[in-house]
Amino acid sequence: LRRQRVEVSIELRKAKKDEQILKRRNISIHVKEANPSLGQDRAYEVSPSLEEIVEAVNGDDTELQLLATQATRRLLSRHKDPPINQIIELGIIPRMVEFLGRADNAALQFEAAWALTNIASGTSEHTRAVVEGGAIPAFISLLSSPHMHISEQSVWALGNIAGDGPLYRDALIARNVIPPLLALVSPATPVGFLRNITWTLSNLCRNKNPCPPLDAVQKILPVLIFLLQHEDKEVISDCCWALSYLTDSCNDRIQVVVDTGILPRLVELMGSPDVNVVTPALRAIGNVVTGTDQQTQEAIDAGVLTVLPRLLRHTKPVIQKEAAWTLSNIAAGPCQQIQQIITCGLLPPLVELLSKGDFKAQKEAVWVVANFMTGGTVHQVVELVRSGVLKPLLNLLLAKDSKTILTILETISKLFLAAEKLGETEKLCLLVEELDGLEKIEDLQNHENDMVYRAALNIIEKYFSGEENTDLEPQPGQDGLYDFSVEKQDFDF
Amino acid sequence: MELSDANLQTLTEYLKKTLDPDPAIRRPAEKFLESVEGSQNYPLLLLTLLEKSQENVIKVCASVTFKNYIKRNWRIVEDEPNKICESDRVAIKANIVPLMLSSPEQIQKQLSDAISIIGREDFPQKWPDLLTEMVNRFQSGDFHVINGVLRTAHSLFKRYRHEFKSNELWTEIKLVLDAFALPLTNLFKATIELCSTHANDASALKVLFSSLILIAKLFYSLNFQDLPEFFEDNMETWMTNFHSLLTLDNKLLQTDDEEEAGLLELLKSQICDNAALYAQKYDEEFQPYLPRFVTAIWNLLVTTGQEVKYDLLVSNAIQFLASVCERPHYKHLFEDQNTLTSICEKVIVPNMEFRAADEEAFEDNSEEYIRRDLEGSDVDTRRRAACDLVRGLCKFFEGPVTGIFSGYVNSMLQEYAKNPSVNWKHKDAAIYLVTSLASKAQTQKHGITQANELVNLTEFFVNHIQPDLKSATVNEFPVLKADGIKYIMIFRNQVPKEQLLVSIPLLINHLQAESIVVHTYAAHALERLFTMRGTNNTTLITAAEMAPFVEVLLTNLFKALTLPGSSENEYIMKAIMRSFSLLQESIIPYMPSVITQLTQKLLAVSKNPSKPHFNHYMFESICLSIRITCKANPEAVGSFEEALFLVFTEILQNDVQEFIPYVFQVMSLLLEMHKNEIPSSYMALFPHLLQPVLWERTGNIPPLVRLLQAYLERGASTIASAAADKIPGLLGVFQKLIASKANDHQGFYLLNSIIEHMPPESVDQYRKQIFILLFQRLQNSKTTKFIKSFLVFINLYCVRYGALALQEIFDGIQPKMFGMVLEKIIIPEIQKVSGQVEKKICAVGITKILTECPPMMDTEYTKLWIPLLQALIGLFELPEDDTIPDEEHFIDIEDTPGYQTAFSQLAFAGKKEHDPVGQMVNNPRIHLAQSLHKLSTACPGRVLSMLSTSLNAEALQYLQGYLQAASVSLL
Repeated sequence: LRRQRVEVSIELRKAKKDEQILKRRNISIHVKEANPSLGQDRAYEVSPSLEEIVEAVNGDDTELQLLATQATRRLLSRHKDPPINQIIELGIIPRMVEFLGRADNAALQFEAAWALTNIASGTSEHTRAVVEGGAIPAFISLLSSPHMHISEQSVWALGNIAGDGPLYRDALIARNVIPPLLALVSPATPVGFLRNITWTLSNLCRNKNPCPPLDAVQKILPVLIFLLQHEDKEVISDCCWALSYLTDSCNDRIQVVVDTGILPRLVELMGSPDVNVVTPALRAIGNVVTGTDQQTQEAIDAGVLTVLPRLLRHTKPVIQKEAAWTLSNIAAGPCQQIQQIITCGLLPPLVELLSKGDFKAQKEAVWVVANFMTGGTVHQVVELVRSGVLKPLLNLLLAKDSKTILTILETISKLFLAAEKLGETEKLCLLVEELDGLEKIEDLQNHENDMVYRAALNIIEKYFSGEENTDLEPQPGQDGLYDFSVEKQDFDF
Repeated sequence: MELSDANLQTLTEYLKKTLDPDPAIRRPAEKFLESVEGSQNYPLLLLTLLEKSQENVIKVCASVTFKNYIKRNWRIVEDEPNKICESDRVAIKANIVPLMLSSPEQIQKQLSDAISIIGREDFPQKWPDLLTEMVNRFQSGDFHVINGVLRTAHSLFKRYRHEFKSNELWTEIKLVLDAFALPLTNLFKATIELCSTHANDASALKVLFSSLILIAKLFYSLNFQDLPEFFEDNMETWMTNFHSLLTLDNKLLQTDDEEEAGLLELLKSQICDNAALYAQKYDEEFQPYLPRFVTAIWNLLVTTGQEVKYDLLVSNAIQFLASVCERPHYKHLFEDQNTLTSICEKVIVPNMEFRAADEEAFEDNSEEYIRRDLEGSDVDTRRRAACDLVRGLCKFFEGPVTGIFSGYVNSMLQEYAKNPSVNWKHKDAAIYLVTSLASKAQTQKHGITQANELVNLTEFFVNHIQPDLKSATVNEFPVLKADGIKYIMIFRNQVPKEQLLVSIPLLINHLQAESIVVHTYAAHALERLFTMRGTNNTTLITAAEMAPFVEVLLTNLFKALTLPGSSENEYIMKAIMRSFSLLQESIIPYMPSVITQLTQKLLAVSKNPSKPHFNHYMFESICLSIRITCKANPEAVGSFEEALFLVFTEILQNDVQEFIPYVFQVMSLLLEMHKNEIPSSYMALFPHLLQPVLWERTGNIPPLVRLLQAYLERGASTIASAAADKIPGLLGVFQKLIASKANDHQGFYLLNSIIEHMPPESVDQYRKQIFILLFQRLQNSKTTKFIKSFLVFINLYCVRYGALALQEIFDGIQPKMFGMVLEKIIIPEIQKVSGQVEKKICAVGITKILTECPPMMDTEYTKLWIPLLQALIGLFELPEDDTIPDEEHFIDIEDTPGYQTAFSQLAFAGKKEHDPVGQMVNNPRIHLAQSLHKLSTACPGRVLSMLSTSLNAEALQYLQGYLQAASVSLL
């Protein structure tokens, strides 16, 4: 059973720290050198009040417009608690969008772009304010600005808009954002700029329901492949994120990525020393193996099984977990693929993970075993048991998670079926008892969860005791004994 | 029903009557209440009464009645009418919370239960304001109210601990967290503050600690499914406070009660659970706090006393340490030699001590003691927890831990040596410590299967165990005697055989000990030693080695059954059975006395059978006595019948249901021992065995079928002549069995015996009906098990009556029936038949169809000839089912399939395998070759031409092999 990345609409946990950032605010200072505007120092001395800003922005004095926009941008760029709501309430966004079109005043264009970028970096409501102010077409045309810092800021702003969700992402794509964006990528593009472009591209690939239009993806993919050869870790990381989004989808979409021939490179990147690269590369490959047997085979041929052992032993629990999830989906394949799992030496790290990994990873490791037992041949199952999987598996019957317990019990039942075929039921019974599994299963007969209780009872009854059940019944005749009688019917077997 | 005073009055009267001890008054009142509970306003009347009645009993009674009413009726079951009208539902939900909170505790609990039942159905969607209503009460400052809310919340949320993750569940939890987490945290902080303000007020503290316990439980439920964002952000608050509560002590909260855990213990115990939850599931986030908890819990253990009331806390706390010390990244917390030493010294050793409570159990409640100590139902005890911690620590620190403990063991043994009568508990602890240190894996069947190699088990055995058992006084230091015997038992696979042999007379001697535990352990140890396997699948200990001890063994075993408290001791009875099985003919000289004692026992326990295992082993022992004796002297069967039939008759007449299946098995065994015609005593019973009432009990079916088979084998002609009128009844039983998927194979056993043994003319008139019945079952509910039995039966029929008779009877039922059965059943399914004898019957039957059935050669059935031959060759060439059953001697109740149902098969009443075609055909392949040869001689050329045109090459090759082996050729 291949399991897709779980779609949790409800999350109790904190938003995941290992996810790629959806929206970013520009709070960096270095950009100001690229902006040798006048009166900058003065602006630092006296910052105008919000009323003054509104007045200046709506007024006709270009210099005041610039100063006010700059002041706005500074407010929005301060480290803590940028007053985004207040700025929106000032109603100056449409005006700022207008400033984006002032090709004659690069400084103003830049400050407005920056300010709008930071507004768009907030909540969905904030982003909406920018979009409804008409910023999309303005930013797209600024991509082709002769000033690199302006086009870079626009890339950033568009990234924030795209990151808001599928609706704005597709709005951007419909406005043809892709060709000018891709045109910015060239061997001469500075690394910093390239990082921004890659990140925005990744947001254009991101989000589901629906996933991005196919023709858009096909336009972006060659560039991603190209960028994946770059030496900058951040560029590579964001490329991998983009690929992980594209593969987190139906099998047709996975195929689009597989067809580019990029899997070997992704597998190579899974072995990177940089955790920011490993995480998305592993996710991308993990997604690929949720696909068809053939797609999974492509990942295996690309060498995924040789890098997984190291990742199963990774110090970061999230990586362990993701690696185990990936392995569980490979184990859900045909027995030839399961054989490759064995041949590539995945069983020892699996057993290790099962016995001492982080709980999240242990849960996934239980799935590996469950899938392996379902799809593996009797011989392969024997191999798995020989590798010592039973002890940690039985220990996890103490886990504080009903689903995991149930999966283990179902797996044990399957194991007993295999043992029956080999005529080794009794041996397995003893082994389960020796490993303190019997008392745990017995205990689970008191579990509050009905399915867990039944599964445990079923194993105990079937293998550790034994029973049968009952359904032409004869009626007692005159002599009190059963009356032997029957009516004939037509038979057709 | 109106909400009127008159109705309240009526209801009050009926409620009062439901409390009446006289059923003549109580029952009608209960019936009345049930009859009106569907009326509108009924629940509201109850609520009014429980609030306003003048009499307290009526208030309580109304609250219980209300809760039961909610339990029965609240849930709306699909396709069934709604049992409570909507306006009542609304009114209940609007009033119940305040009502619960303002009620005295007794009523509060009932209403709180009712709320959680309603909540399970309606919360959150159909009861949106419940949470806010509850949370608002936190502000009240009235802890009676607050505890009511907390208790209700606990009963609503505790299901989060065991349900599967689902969007629905998580949506609910999220909603609860949003509304509840912050107020709960604030309440937690405020309660802790109040605890220090009221540090000197005992009654206030009690209420506050009850709240803290409930808060800690709610924390567990809310954090169970996943780590909620809120609790991650507030981990500092919760964990810091939990930590300080663990270290808190207040004289005012200490209880005098030694048994019942106090509030402080319950709270700390729940905190240990909370910490264990975080350590297991949220290790990454919890890591910074964990070392602090390890230290606190370990200090807690060091300072907690030996009283029973601390047991849950102590075992929870030790289990926490045990689970943490196995984790590689916490290894360092334990690594230090001083730490290890102090854990060993202050945590493990004290908790392994034999306590007053254990001593009490040993003497006064030995059954429970044995169950816990021997069968491992000790999961929650301190000793067990300490033992788990030793095993956990040994994972990383086997060497150092073994070293530390060796020191302790030695010093404890020295203490003992100084003054055994005072210090015997030291030795007990030493033995327990050695045992837990040495055992790495254990099963009931084999004892310890993996031992710590650093412990010299034999040396300890010779130096410290044997001397105790050799002491002349079997009743001195009973606990140490029991320890010593248990040591032999569990390390039986580690200690060399010569040491076991030395121990046997010692064990036999201890069968005489007065202490129930000691003589039970002695019996059990002997039984386990006798079950050990030596080389070649024989017993390790042989009958020859036991020869010098036979008399004393038997005497002491039976004497042990007369010791107070052991009259139905299953361990002793099992040891008797195993001794018989091991000693075989050497028990014969003692048989007269043995069988008398067994029958007396049987008579006594049949009055009130209460120990199923004891009874089972008693019947096994009886069967063994019969088998062993009659093997040497077949005439002896008469004397057994004489001794047993009186008791058996009583059992059957009194309908002692537990024993009847056993009686049938013993009777089968006895009847099969007869070489001649069936005795008349058996024939008198025959009609009774066909009584439907016996067959309605599933437990009777297998032994009764077996018994009827014995009747048919020994007395078919007598039945045909003297009891011909009972044949329809006999076939009725067959019909009854065949109707059931579970019992159809038993029906076939019976039918096979009828066909094989009954004179053909006596069943002629029923033959057609039999087949019609079988065909009906085949048509209506075909199962693999049925088909397998069916195939064996029709082939047996063919062997007995001939292939032509089979074809004629089939085609007599319906034209072309024979061809249909061949084509649809026999050819495709024959490979499923398993069992050597079964396969042989099928092979001979099919050979007859192929070679002795003219229609197969000259009608449209001819087209089936080759496929049938091919199927037969397939049957021959399939790998044999070669699983061999466990040898009887080693058999255990648990191994017997079907135990725990009403029927327990007696291993020693076992039936010999019977081969009905044995004399006729020795090698079925050669038989096929010879039969084909005969056929080809009768119609030269035909067989060869059929073979060469359609038989597949592989099959042909096999066939040629058979012909060669039989030295015949086809014409």
